Amino acid sequence: MTQPPAAFSDARTRAAPRPAAVIRLLAPALAVVLLLFGGGLALGLVQSLGHLPAAGMSSLSLEHFARVFADPDFFKSLGLTFYLSLTSTLIAAAISVAAALMFNTLAGRSRAIQFIFQMPLTVPHLVIAVATVFMLAPSGLLARALQNLGLISSATAFPLLVNDPWGAGILAAYVWKEVPFITLMILAVLQANGAELLDVGRTLKAGRWQRFRHITLPTIFPSLGAASLIVFAYTFGAFEIPYLLGQTYPMMLPVWAYKAYSDVDLLSRPEGIAAGLVIAAVAATAVVLAQGLTQAARRRGAAL
Amino acid sequence: MLNHRARRRFQVFGICLFLIAALPLCSVAVTWSEIEARAKGQTVDWFMWGGFPSTNSYVNGYVAPRVKELFQITLRQVPVKDIAEVVGKLLAEKQAGKSSGGEVDMMWINGENFRTCKRHGLLYGPFADLLPNQKLVDWGKPSVRNDFGEPVEGLESPWGSAQVVMIYDAQRTPEPPKTLGALLDWARRNPGRFTYPAPPDFTGSVFVRHVFYHAAGDATAWQGSFDEKRFEPAAGATYQILKDLAPYLWRQGRTYPENPTRLAQLLADGEVDFAISYHPAEASKMILDGLYPESVRTFVFEEGTIANTHFVALPFNAADKEGAMVVANFLISPEAQLKKADPSVWGDFPAIDIRRLEPAWQARFAALPRGAATLPNDVLQRHQLPEPPSEILIRLEKGWDERVLKGR
Repeated sequence: MTQPPAAFSDARTRAAPRPAAVIRLLAPALAVVLLLFGGGLALGLVQSLGHLPAAGMSSLSLEHFARVFADPDFFKSLGLTFYLSLTSTLIAAAISVAAALMFNTLAGRSRAIQFIFQMPLTVPHLVIAVATVFMLAPSGLLARALQNLGLISSATAFPLLVNDPWGAGILAAYVWKEVPFITLMILAVLQANGAELLDVGRTLKAGRWQRFRHITLPTIFPSLGAASLIVFAYTFGAFEIPYLLGQTYPMMLPVWAYKAYSDVDLLSRPEGIAAGLVIAAVAATAVVLAQGLTQAARRRGAAL
Repeated sequence: MLNHRARRRFQVFGICLFLIAALPLCSVAVTWSEIEARAKGQTVDWFMWGGFPSTNSYVNGYVAPRVKELFQITLRQVPVKDIAEVVGKLLAEKQAGKSSGGEVDMMWINGENFRTCKRHGLLYGPFADLLPNQKLVDWGKPSVRNDFGEPVEGLESPWGSAQVVMIYDAQRTPEPPKTLGALLDWARRNPGRFTYPAPPDFTGSVFVRHVFYHAAGDATAWQGSFDEKRFEPAAGATYQILKDLAPYLWRQGRTYPENPTRLAQLLADGEVDFAISYHPAEASKMILDGLYPESVRTFVFEEGTIANTHFVALPFNAADKEGAMVVANFLISPEAQLKKADPSVWGDFPAIDIRRLEPAWQARFAALPRGAATLPNDVLQRHQLPEPPSEILIRLEKGWDERVLKGR
C-alpha cells in the first residue's frame, strides 16, 4: 500500500492509520469511558445482585431481578416506555427528514430560520418539560388563548395533554427537543454530498419521488439511523420529562427505577438498580441492532 | 527475669490505664471557640430540598452572607429534589469506605430519612449539645426530643417547626369544611375540585396520615412501638376511603400532582379549590409574592393537624464539620430565627423557645407582622397532632401505592 502524496490526500483517500496507533490515540477517551461508565455499570450490577454491605446485605443473588420481573407493573412500564420512545423517535425522524430537505434548499439563504430551528438544541430537557406544562396544561397558555378567542368554553373543554394516559405531553416534548438534533445530523450529510448525485438523477429523468427514494434516502440513511438511535436510547432512559409530564401510574421505566432507588426502604435500592440495568440492556441491544441494520443498508447501497 | 517481665506488664498496664483515662479528655477537649477557629475559611455545602423559593432566598440571601461576615464561612446551598437522594449517596460512600472528605457537610432532614441515616450510622455526632445556642431549644418538647418517634439523641439540631394547614380562596369557597371528614364529603360533592400530591411526596404523605388518624378515630394512640394488629384495620380503612374518593378527585384520581408546588399552582390556576402546606405562613408569603390572590386564607381541622420539627444534621464523612456546626448554631440564634419567622422572608415557625429569650428579643418576635392568611399562634398550637412513628409513615406510603394508586 503506497501513500499518495500529501497534496492529493483528503479525508477519503488518506490511508488509514495502523490499529495500534488508533488505539493509542483513543486511549485517553477509552479510559474515561471504561472507568466511569464500565465501572459504574459493574458497581451497579454488583448492587443489583444484592451486595449492599452498608445496609447489611452482602449475599449475591438474582432475587432482585426476579422481583423486578415478577412485578406486574414492570411489563406495563416496559411496554409504556417502548411505546413512548419508539413513537417519539419515529415522529421526530419523519419530521426531521422533511425539515432537512426543506432546509437543504432554503437554509443557505435563511440563517435566521436555521437559528430559530436550532434553539431547542441548547435548552435542557428539564426546561422543555416545564415549558410544555406551561403551554399544554388545562390552565396553560394554549388553553387560555383558545378560551380568550372563544374557541373553547372553559379550561375543562381543553383536551388533556399533560399527565395524560397516552403520553401526549411526553411525545410533544421529545419531538420538540429531538427534531432539531436529527435534522442537523441529516443536513450535514445532505450539504456535504447529494447535490451532484441529484443532478445526475435529474439528467437520467428520475422523478421527484424516485430521486428521494433512490438517491436522498440511501445517502441520509446511515446518519438518520444513527441519530434516531441516539434519540431512542436517550428517551428510553431519560427521567425528567416522563417524571414531570407523565401520569403518576403507570410510569415509564426510568421513573420506576428512580422511585425504587430513592425509596426510604433501602431494600428496594437493588431493585431500582436492577431496573436501571434493564434499561441499559435494552438501549445497548437497540444500538447493536441498529448498527447491524445500518451496516446491512450500507452494503446493499454499495451493491446496488 | 520473671520480676522484670512482671514490671514490664505493669508498665504496659499503667500506660493503657492512662490512655483510657485520657480518652474522654480528648473528646471534650474541643471547645466551642476552637471549633469556631477551625471553621474559619471553610466552605459548607448544605444539601437541602430546593422546592420552596422563600427557603432558598432565606438561605442564599440572608444566612450565607451573614455567616461569611460573622465567621468567614462560605455557605453553598445545594438544592435537591428529595433529601433521600443524599441519603442514598451517603450510603454508597459508607460502602466505598469514604469516611472523610465527603462532599455533603450539612443536610436539611427529618422523619424517615433521619431514621434511615441514624440506623445505618450515616450521621456525625452527637453534636447538638456542643452548640451554645442549644440552651434556647426546649428539648423537653416531644416533637423536638423525638423526630417522628425516633429519639434525636443530639444527632440533629432543630431548625424550625412546621404544621400542616389547608389553603383555600375565601372568595371561591366562603365556607371551607371544618374537619377532615367534612373535607372528604366536600370533595365528593364537588368532583374534580380536590386532590393531594402523590406520596411519597412529603405533603401528600402527611395528608394520607391525616386520613389515617381520621379512619382510626384516634390520633394520639400511635406513639410508641408499632402494633401490627392495631395498624392493619385502620390502614385498610384509610386505603378504602382514599380509593373510594379517587373518582371524585382532580382528573378522576388517574394522576396526582407530584409535589405541593404543583398543587399550589393548580389552586392558583383555579383547577382545584384547596392546597395543602406544611408551612403555616407559606400562603401569606405567596400572596406577598403575587402567586396567590389576596383572598387566599388557611385553616386547620377542628380535630387538629400534624405538626413536626425539621432539623439539620451532619454526615459521618463531612469534610467541613466545624463550619457546619457553626452554621447550625447560627441557624438557632435569635437573630436568624427572627429573620426566618418574618412572613416577608419565609415565615417559618421558630425552633427555639421564645420564652427563653431576653425580653427585648421576645418583644421583637411578638412584633412580627402576621401575614393575612396566617392563623394566630394560639389557634395553631391548640390544634397540633403528633407525627406517627416512621414505621407507620413508611407502611402507609407503600400501602397507598399498592392499594390506592394501583388499585390492587
